[in-house]
Amino acid sequence: MRSLTLESASFWYPATEAPALREVSLEVAQGEVVALVGALGAGASTLLLVAADLAPRVTGGRLTGSVARGDRSGIVLPTPWTQASGMAFTVWDEVAFGPANLGWPTHEIARQVDRALEQLELVPLASRDPATLSGGELQRVIIASILAMDPGLVLFDEPAAELDAEAARALWRLIRLQAKEGKAVLLATSALDALPDVADRVVWLEDGAVRAIGTPELLADVAACDAGLGTSVASVWWASGLPGPYPLTVAHALQRWR
Amino acid sequence: MTGGRLHPFTLLAIAGALPALAWILPAPAGGAWTATVALVLTLTPGASPGLTSTGSSPGWRPGLVVLRTAVLTAAPFWLFLLLLHDVPTTIAIGLRITTMVASFVWLVAALQPARLVEAMVAAGWSASVAYLLAATLSAVPVLKARARRIVEAQRCRGLSPGGGIAARLRALRALALPLVLSALHEVDERALALETRGLVPGIRRTPLAPPPDPAVEQAARWALLLACLFALFRRFV
Amino acid sequence: MSIRLLALIPVAAAISLALSAVVDAVALPLFLDTTGTILATALAGPTVGIATGVVTSAVNTLRNPTFWPFVVVQIIVALYAWVAARAGLFRSFRTAIPAGLGLGVIASVTSTPISYLVFGCTTTGGIALTTALGKALGLPPLGACFFGSFVSDFGDKAVTFALVTSVLHALPRRTAARFPWALRAIGAA
Repeated sequence: MRSLTLESASFWYPATEAPALREVSLEVAQGEVVALVGALGAGASTLLLVAADLAPRVTGGRLTGSVARGDRSGIVLPTPWTQASGMAFTVWDEVAFGPANLGWPTHEIARQVDRALEQLELVPLASRDPATLSGGELQRVIIASILAMDPGLVLFDEPAAELDAEAARALWRLIRLQAKEGKAVLLATSALDALPDVADRVVWLEDGAVRAIGTPELLADVAACDAGLGTSVASVWWASGLPGPYPLTVAHALQRWR
Repeated sequence: MTGGRLHPFTLLAIAGALPALAWILPAPAGGAWTATVALVLTLTPGASPGLTSTGSSPGWRPGLVVLRTAVLTAAPFWLFLLLLHDVPTTIAIGLRITTMVASFVWLVAALQPARLVEAMVAAGWSASVAYLLAATLSAVPVLKARARRIVEAQRCRGLSPGGGIAARLRALRALALPLVLSALHEVDERALALETRGLVPGIRRTPLAPPPDPAVEQAARWALLLACLFALFRRFV
Repeated sequence: MSIRLLALIPVAAAISLALSAVVDAVALPLFLDTTGTILATALAGPTVGIATGVVTSAVNTLRNPTFWPFVVVQIIVALYAWVAARAGLFRSFRTAIPAGLGLGVIASVTSTPISYLVFGCTTTGGIALTTALGKALGLPPLGACFFGSFVSDFGDKAVTFALVTSVLHALPRRTAARFPWALRAIGAA
């Protein structure tokens, strides 16, 4: 079942002439992880805002084409500290903030919060004041607080930006788990090396339009490497002038050499 | 009476009734009575839960700190009153101001913001109202720190806040404009963030841990209101 | 009220409360504590402005309880700013500064009875000293109190209006267009 369908969607921010999205058509199914990649300003964040029904409703602007959502969405913004409520004095209360705003009964709130804290390995921090957390810890708290709202469509905008390598690996595992549980995941990231293990499909955005859609193998294409969107292994292969096709990961490169 | 265990609305009612009575009741006896009650409140255990959590004896020591704050805040008003008025007027107004100051200082020490938010939500208030206060309280120190950084940065660029009035006003504009514009730029981010957390106008939020509101406290709040109205009636009729 | 305007209120209130750090740096006898209220009104109308004024007073009261009786002044300021915004008085300093001076008079008239009846004109050391000066000049008590408030408010509100005008004109068009009253306040709509 499709959780999100965009058909020829174009979007303009207020008082701007150039569209931030141009004729984007995309579907995201339940149980699927779709990654958005592209240069800065390619439109990935805007696409996520449109998918989350925040653009143009909250941002203002103009949207043409059609957007159909089969599920309630939850989005983790690239600046998660702005998503902190400022009204919670423990991590547990912070994660419960969103579910409480949805008007759920307290037992359901407790169940969702405890589950999210466990998934993000935040149980030891449950009674801490969010104001005392590090950037990485706060990012995990915000992710937990969005997941605790049990959205069917989960949107991530650079979710690993503040995380160290170990926390980022845990996050990628969590994202795969969300898909395994039947959620649709749309993710904008510049952590290209993680995508072969995380994403089912990759969407390459350029100047607000879809340049290509494919499997993560797309990140080993010559064109992607030319544009600086190859994985590290593919980019090194491309940069050293070795013949294609380029390997996507270290494992692929080892296979090639053997 | 331990402020920390009373319902937040009861704390607000007491902090509101005492100054009201100080002004309604005939001076100076009315002000003396209410100021005494307000100052005694600052001595009650639980009047400063933040301090008692440090592990020190939860006895009178935290209350002395609150009392001292109230006295130091009220003291300048007595000096200025003496400067402008005769002694009886100084005492009459001074006692009223002392009541107001002591009541609010006690309230700030005794009222836990989390409990107030939960009480408001449980009573059916919109969560947006609680958000407005909480968001402002958290935004002020951030903006103040940013203001100090802007002052430092502009000084490094040669901006001198000295000189005549015109020069100082130009400096004021150079310092204030970046602060205000950067703050306004955050409005969009905050709006998006509120939406992502489900805090939209008109929602019915589930109270997570509503503080108990015994019937006796509800009756006491009504009694305080009636006492104020009765005193007002007696004063002017 | 839209979510965007709800988000504006605490930001505007915090602006009012944080500008003291800037005022201290230039050592001018100003408060600028209605900047956020006037700005919010000019951007989004009287409801948002009044809410900003009330929140500003409430938060200020936590720091100093003597601020709360003056919440009425913040509300009057918001209403005045709305009239000024509707008339496009923020379009230049030439119109904004006289409007600010007018608000200074109105704010003094509004705050004087509160200061006199509640605080005996002792809300701040500056006002108390200026009131004492007024008394020494032979003014009656209420007149001396008005003199103290007027000296403090007159210039403060003119500077505040000028500052808000600068801000409105410095806002990128794309940002200004998102606020319902911003363009009209500067006479651009």
